[in-house]
Amino acid sequence: MKNILKITIALVFLIVLSSCWGDKSKPNYQYMPDMYKSVGYETYSENPNYSNGMTTQLPAEGTIARGNVPYEYTDTNEGYETAKLELKNPLEISEANLENGEKMYNIYCLSCHGKSGAGDGVLVEREKFLGVPNYKDRDITEGSIYHVIMHGRNLMGSHASQLTTKERWQVTMYVQQLRTELLK
Amino acid sequence: MKSVKQHSPLSRLVNSSLAFLLLFSLSLSAQQTDVANGEKLFKANCAACHKLDKKLVGPALKGITDKREQDWLIAWIKDSPGMIKSGDKLAIQVFEENNKLPMIANPHLSDQDIVDILEYTKGEEVAPQAAPATQEVDPGVERGKQIFKTNCAACHKMEGKLIGPELFKITDSREHEWLKAWIKDNNALAASGDKLAKEVQASNPAVMTPFPQLADQDLEDLLKYFAVGDVKAVAVATGDASSEQIFNKPGFGVLPTLGVTILAFLLLSLIVAATTNKKVEEGEESTENMLKTMFFNPFLRFLTIIFVLLGGAWFFFGWLMQIDVNEGYQPIQPITFSHAVHAGDNKIDCQYCHSSAKHSKTSGIPTANVCMNCHKSISEYTGPLFDGHTKEDLDNEIQKIYDAVGWDKDKMEYIEGYEEKPIEWVRIHNLADFAYYNHSQHVTVAGLDCQKCHGPVEEMHEMHQFSPLTMGWCIECHRDTQVDMTENGYYKNIHDQLAKKYGVEKVTAAQMGGLECGKCHY
Repeated sequence: MKNILKITIALVFLIVLSSCWGDKSKPNYQYMPDMYKSVGYETYSENPNYSNGMTTQLPAEGTIARGNVPYEYTDTNEGYETAKLELKNPLEISEANLENGEKMYNIYCLSCHGKSGAGDGVLVEREKFLGVPNYKDRDITEGSIYHVIMHGRNLMGSHASQLTTKERWQVTMYVQQLRTELLK
Repeated sequence: MKSVKQHSPLSRLVNSSLAFLLLFSLSLSAQQTDVANGEKLFKANCAACHKLDKKLVGPALKGITDKREQDWLIAWIKDSPGMIKSGDKLAIQVFEENNKLPMIANPHLSDQDIVDILEYTKGEEVAPQAAPATQEVDPGVERGKQIFKTNCAACHKMEGKLIGPELFKITDSREHEWLKAWIKDNNALAASGDKLAKEVQASNPAVMTPFPQLADQDLEDLLKYFAVGDVKAVAVATGDASSEQIFNKPGFGVLPTLGVTILAFLLLSLIVAATTNKKVEEGEESTENMLKTMFFNPFLRFLTIIFVLLGGAWFFFGWLMQIDVNEGYQPIQPITFSHAVHAGDNKIDCQYCHSSAKHSKTSGIPTANVCMNCHKSISEYTGPLFDGHTKEDLDNEIQKIYDAVGWDKDKMEYIEGYEEKPIEWVRIHNLADFAYYNHSQHVTVAGLDCQKCHGPVEEMHEMHQFSPLTMGWCIECHRDTQVDMTENGYYKNIHDQLAKKYGVEKVTAAQMGGLECGKCHY
């Protein structure tokens, strides 16, 4: 009887000790991780086969993925000027396009350009960024808006990695709408 | 440029005391900026060979102004080899005293620069600016600052190059009217055949935006601001208490439960002991110690064993259930990236950086180009400090981005031929490979808030795993969540059919087949 008691107490003590996953900076232990680790290389994972150690490798230059059209205006002042004059929005102005444009604008542009496009976003108010122009002060066309989203201009970076072609045009459409409202 | 004159001792004394008085009578603030300028110049031009308090290649420079005359020093600093050649006695003496090491000529320094440097060598600390605001309160300067902030600051800084050149004291090097015309429309100015305008345009690859909307008075104020500059803000806010961790680490709530159980047990045993004690007394046997009764009571022993067994089982299963559950996992990241600063304070949308959440299975970690969208111009941390980091620490963290992509923050350009180093973030949320999870169908289609699964990330300085990500956790949510079928055309017919089949108004994810094995495990 006494032995059983002692054994139980010892067992409980042991379990209590081992049940603590103390170091939160390391993952918890696993029991027989059969198919836990991917055999293939997953997106963003490390990869010993490439010199830069990344699974994500750049596509060969000049290749075009199906469904994509390369953007032909260069990231220069001339490219900007020609895009400003020539480039036209392939999407028709519709409720759905504008709605998604607004959604995307509110994610990717709001912080600096502000809700109405007057250059009064949160980051400007907090003085992290200064000199964000009001849309009405700039002579911008749909071509130039798209070009700047695509390549960036001066301190504004390219947002091509974050938005798809269609979304960029939708944002362009929404920005134009904001501008006409500001000009009123 | 002043010429070097021979002075009689008297005129020397008069001159130097006059100069001293002049310097002294200049408002303190003005003089101190000179010292600061001198320090800058000293570090840029002299510090390779000189120190203030110690001999380096050249002699220590502290107090040199007491030993030598200012005019001689200016001439010496400008062109010491020339002076030696010209046979200046003192110059030759100095040359020989210093092991005949010739000092490099500094013809690019102006007289004023040298005076500043000499002022600095006196070794006086640069005092904190004594309220320079009082020197001249012109409301136009304040207005000009506002105009600068809204119009110019995207490309210019007052001190230091950004896209355009620095603008502080630009009024000294360019004419007033020219500047005004240039700001209004630099293209028109260049087109009108202005030589300087063309030159400036050619010297800078970026084109300056014209500002026709600025009125004359605006420009006037702007130029005033350029001339006067900023009143330096007093030290950045020190530590902020709001950086405490708001969310306690999740757990089983073990200790309270355990405490209550033990208390209940003790109470029970006390009652039992008390009653048995009484019985003994009634039988008129010797009164026993209460503790002894408790210990030898067979019922209580039995109870103890049951308690220990149950408790053991409880611990054992509790332990089994937490294997491979990584709630609270908080690894050390290569960069002290704070979600609380970016998503919380600055209210940047989650999807700005995690932009692939809307279209992809993987809501990726942003590449460094997204960091650089903002950190091209934000190279210093100015917000409230957190987690015991100093400002230097946090500036250094921003520097780590630059080191990864090869950005030269002084020249404001990418270093050519730099070998970029990927930032090796540590992934916190890991699902086993046999489970398929797709962000886009939860974010875009279902419209879930990020916080539902990842917790209040905007309050976390250091990211940790908020949800257990166990299968039970997934399923619980699928059982509760009603699918929004109004907007999505895909559900047009399915909704009616399923609603009829289950006899419900709204269909949950589980009823749509969200619990089938193949949906997540292929």
